[in-house]
Amino acid sequence: MEMLAQFGRSLVPPRLAAWVDRQASPIVFALVTLFVIVLLLGAVTTDNFLTIFNLKTIIRDAALVGIMGIGLTFVTLSGNFFLLSMKETAALCIITFAMGMSHGYGFELSLLATLIVAVVAGGVQGLLIGLGGNPIVVTLGAAGMFYGIASWWSDNLVISFRRPNDAEWLGTGSFLGLPNITVAFILIAVVAEIVLRYTDFGRKVYLIGANRAAARATGHENLPMAIKVCIIASVCAGFVAVAFAAQISSAQANYFSSEFGSSGDMTILVIATVMVGGNSIMGGYGSTLRTSLGAIFISVIDNMMVLRGFNSGPRVLAVGLMIVFSIVVFSLARRGSRAQE
Amino acid sequence: MNGHLSLADRLKNRVVENPDLSFAVLLAVIVYGYFAATNDLFMTHNTTFAIMERFAVLGLVALALTLCIIAGEIDLSIGSNAALTAVIVVRFNDQLGTFTALAIGLVVSTTIGVIQGYFVAYLRVRAIVLTVGTLMLLRGVALFVAQEKTVMLTEFDVPDFIQTKMLAYFSPASFLVIAVFILVGIFMAYTKYGREIYAVGGARKEALAAGVNLKRPMIIVFSISGFCAGLGGAIIGLRSGTAQALGLQYLLLAGTVAAFIGGVSILGGKGGVIGAAIGTLTVNFLNTGLVFNVTPAYQVQLYLGILLIIVIMFQTGSRIFDARQRRKAVLAAVDERKVALLTKKRQVLAT
Repeated sequence: MEMLAQFGRSLVPPRLAAWVDRQASPIVFALVTLFVIVLLLGAVTTDNFLTIFNLKTIIRDAALVGIMGIGLTFVTLSGNFFLLSMKETAALCIITFAMGMSHGYGFELSLLATLIVAVVAGGVQGLLIGLGGNPIVVTLGAAGMFYGIASWWSDNLVISFRRPNDAEWLGTGSFLGLPNITVAFILIAVVAEIVLRYTDFGRKVYLIGANRAAARATGHENLPMAIKVCIIASVCAGFVAVAFAAQISSAQANYFSSEFGSSGDMTILVIATVMVGGNSIMGGYGSTLRTSLGAIFISVIDNMMVLRGFNSGPRVLAVGLMIVFSIVVFSLARRGSRAQE
Repeated sequence: MNGHLSLADRLKNRVVENPDLSFAVLLAVIVYGYFAATNDLFMTHNTTFAIMERFAVLGLVALALTLCIIAGEIDLSIGSNAALTAVIVVRFNDQLGTFTALAIGLVVSTTIGVIQGYFVAYLRVRAIVLTVGTLMLLRGVALFVAQEKTVMLTEFDVPDFIQTKMLAYFSPASFLVIAVFILVGIFMAYTKYGREIYAVGGARKEALAAGVNLKRPMIIVFSISGFCAGLGGAIIGLRSGTAQALGLQYLLLAGTVAAFIGGVSILGGKGGVIGAAIGTLTVNFLNTGLVFNVTPAYQVQLYLGILLIIVIMFQTGSRIFDARQRRKAVLAAVDERKVALLTKKRQVLAT
């Protein structure tokens, strides 16, 4: 490991090396270097990987998970860990939207209904978390409830609505050669980053996440913040549900648990984007930009493995390894740079 | 010591000493009573046997989660670990024989637990964070072992054996699980290591300051948790004769509900094995009763979720209430002192 670190350091300019030294321990640097080398080798040797079309595909694949990840980042940054109910919220929203569309209420009304459902779902969870419930346990229970309601409402059947309909533009249209969902991903990423960096609200998110006691002493309670960030996360999940339903003009409660993604668990994939991006899980440190990059990074690895003909097993394994790897790397890096607790 | 107390008084003392456990027993009796009253078939020998059969699997998961939560952590990878062991045991059962397959599966699941516990203590990360990663990782490994197929047994001697009815209500599987419960209960209550687990859960900083090495309790908790998850997965796999790499996701929710009904606190340091058993029984009464009332399987989640939220609200509410009471007491004490001071001042001024 040490030799590898030496070798890695000899490759980069001295100022960068000094910066890295300040950031992380040699082991971390060696691991990251190793990873970058593997990635670059993979990119060069995989056929059809470095094409414009494939790059677009990568970003498009990252978009839906990325949007949910951006929503979840607010929760994580504010020190409320993460919501284990992301895919179930999305399931409830997709059923709401499809019910609206199939009964002929039109796109706008269905979207509005979905948003209301998402806001209520997020608000209830936020309230319980803000009052002192553990985020993991509360959202685990909420997840069971939302999924139960969604499958009960739809009788666990596929609800499809007729094409052409006025939602299709969102799922299948494109703008300046980019699919609309990709455009939405970019827009949401930019807006979220601006909100976090330059608004009062954004700074409060960081404050409450970094030091809850200090935030409390200055009059910023976690309760309103928990409600707000949970609503943001739920609305992002709701938007993803609408976009997904608009893409395929149908909905089922288990779309996000069985047919979506290689792993069969969208929630974990969303949490993975937050973690692989290197946001601090205890809150207060990170950004939505990191999450977006995390989503794209996971998508790159997945895409590369698909192009090389791997089955779903190794691909899930790779994402799992990436999460564990990033946890180990970032916690070691933090140990190097900051005093413990 | 309590010899001269009447039975009712002794019962009352028990209830006052363990409010959480009493709540759990009450809830269990209510759920059982409701289904027994509304359905004729519920209170029969066969149903009790079926409930005990469910107890075998869910009890193990609830026990594992209870231990983790007592230590102040949550093991989210429990379903993945169970699924991985189920896949390993079912896949290798025919080639290597049941005992070898079971041994391999349990060694793997326990080792996974040990590694997780070590990393939680060494990296000082919360187990929630690490186990989200291993949740996905273990699914990947399970998919790999199962070669992305549903693995199946070809001979059904073993499934038949572990479901043999014994003593009316039990089977080899449920006897084994009850034995595990008793062993873990003795371990938690009467050994130094068990008390260490309570200590790092309830007051981690104090425990560490008192010289507890965090690695030991964490490794013990997560190895027991891994072992229980693995055994649960193996029992499910062998009983049904099939195993899926992506299955058993529901275990986490059901196990958490059972653990919380059993009286663990998310702050750690509270709860116990008896609570886990009662919590599991409550969830099983609910599950079985819902099946009797022809509820679709996907809706059971709804009720479990509602139950979990209710229990959490109850806990959070009582915590907020306690804090209010304590603050009130402090304020009252301050007021009392102030009044005393004022009267003294007045007396001094008057003279």
